[in-house]
Amino acid sequence: MHEITFIQGLELAVMAIIVGVDFWLEGLFLFRPIIVCTLTGIILGDINTGLIAGGLTELAFAGLTPAGGTQPPNPILAGVMTTVIAFTTGIEATTAIGLALPFSFLMQYIILFYYSSFSFFMAKADTYAEEANMNAFIRLNILTTAIVALTYGIVVFFSTYVAQNAMQELVQSMPTWLIHGFEIAGGILPGVGFGMLLKVMLKIQYIPYLIIGFLFASFIPFSNLLPVALVGTALAIYEYFRDKAQMASQTAIGGGGSNEGI
Amino acid sequence: MKESNALSSKDLTKLGLYSSFLQASFNYERMQAGGFTLAMLPALNKIFHGDRQKISAAMNDNMEFINTHPNLVGFLMGLLLSLEENNEDRSLIKGIKVALFGPLAGIGDAIFWFTLLPIVAGISASFALQGSIIGPIIFFSVYLTVFCLRIVWTHLGYNLGTKALERLKDSSRIISKAATILGVTVIGGLVASYIHIEVLSQIAINAEHSVSIQKDFFNKIFPNILPMSYALFMLYFLKRKRISPSILILGTFIAAIFLSFLGVL
Repeated sequence: MHEITFIQGLELAVMAIIVGVDFWLEGLFLFRPIIVCTLTGIILGDINTGLIAGGLTELAFAGLTPAGGTQPPNPILAGVMTTVIAFTTGIEATTAIGLALPFSFLMQYIILFYYSSFSFFMAKADTYAEEANMNAFIRLNILTTAIVALTYGIVVFFSTYVAQNAMQELVQSMPTWLIHGFEIAGGILPGVGFGMLLKVMLKIQYIPYLIIGFLFASFIPFSNLLPVALVGTALAIYEYFRDKAQMASQTAIGGGGSNEGI
Repeated sequence: MKESNALSSKDLTKLGLYSSFLQASFNYERMQAGGFTLAMLPALNKIFHGDRQKISAAMNDNMEFINTHPNLVGFLMGLLLSLEENNEDRSLIKGIKVALFGPLAGIGDAIFWFTLLPIVAGISASFALQGSIIGPIIFFSVYLTVFCLRIVWTHLGYNLGTKALERLKDSSRIISKAATILGVTVIGGLVASYIHIEVLSQIAINAEHSVSIQKDFFNKIFPNILPMSYALFMLYFLKRKRISPSILILGTFIAAIFLSFLGVL
């Protein structure tokens, strides 16, 4: 059981502003849980909890990406709150992921609200474009980014510093089976993310590769995933050159097929 | 094919960095249009020597809907500016922009979100879970490199000009296929390594003996059969039933808590 001091609350808010802008712009990927949790751990003076929470939350969020314009549950709030809850209440990080989720959903909906309401700025932007008013145009873009940044700071300050006692009481009042349930869910949760990845990537002709990766990791236990990534790289290079050769032979047989039509 | 190079190498490097503002005013109506226009302003100003009419025309065109990939958008910006500089027809420039932003988004998503992220996340998380700071350091280094490559793509787009189009079309399919193969293999490994389902239930045969469902049943069929089944179960809901991931996350929690209450898991 630990307290978050006022200063730490402010530091967390400042960090949230930085990684929040990074998420908004999709810049350096500082917004991924593995970085957010580590930074949170450093601020709280408990880097170990930060690292463990980071590893777990990163995996749980691996498939939850904003690719294609869908906004996933917010990875920043998930990261900050998983670490903070594990730190303040002393429960396992696997359990804390579940308790962090409501905060993650809250921030997801705030961002969705901004995505919709920022449409109103576009008429103004059109006017500036018409007038070639570059400075006003730049200010408008800074304003929207600043609104998002400030929101992250405020939400994180309230979720961490202000809400910590309520969170401790909540965790203490939870029966064991409920805590255990959250822990199990934390372990199964990556399944949803991996399902998301497979939804985008898995075409029937790629099933062999899924099986190979699965078999390899099931029967050759190793502490990290590098060996599987290497097997995947080998397969990818093999296919790449096979396709290239195929394409080259096709153009050779076609004899500059594009000319024939003329 | 270019008469003059209005933009210096330094201008292009700056353009690559400014391209990071792509989503500064993201919204559902025009998506990245505001940031897309913003990033090109200094370069446009230089190309048109502050001619307000020309700048306004270019800004108006760029304010139309666009949604592409932040890591690769510099390529598109460089290409478009090389056309602007040659005083190409406005409708041609617009046409190329509209034709390219979608495919670029597709390649970018396939490479950066669906291949690179699971691999880097999987590897760095495996270090972090052992309490090693190497995990986040690997993660950060990889994405710092990816970020710096934005500058390279921008130079490439500008220097190749329209020549780039053919090349892009030819190799993008093969590259994204190879990337997908690598990604799918790693996901297979991730499923086996990072989904944890352990059935606690035991079936009592008599007073002394009982059969553990996990050890004597599932592990005998195939280790990790439950994690793989769960991932495929989720895939089915996401793809065939079009259920949102948020609902599936909540469902996972409700199911886990219920099964914990019953003592099954």
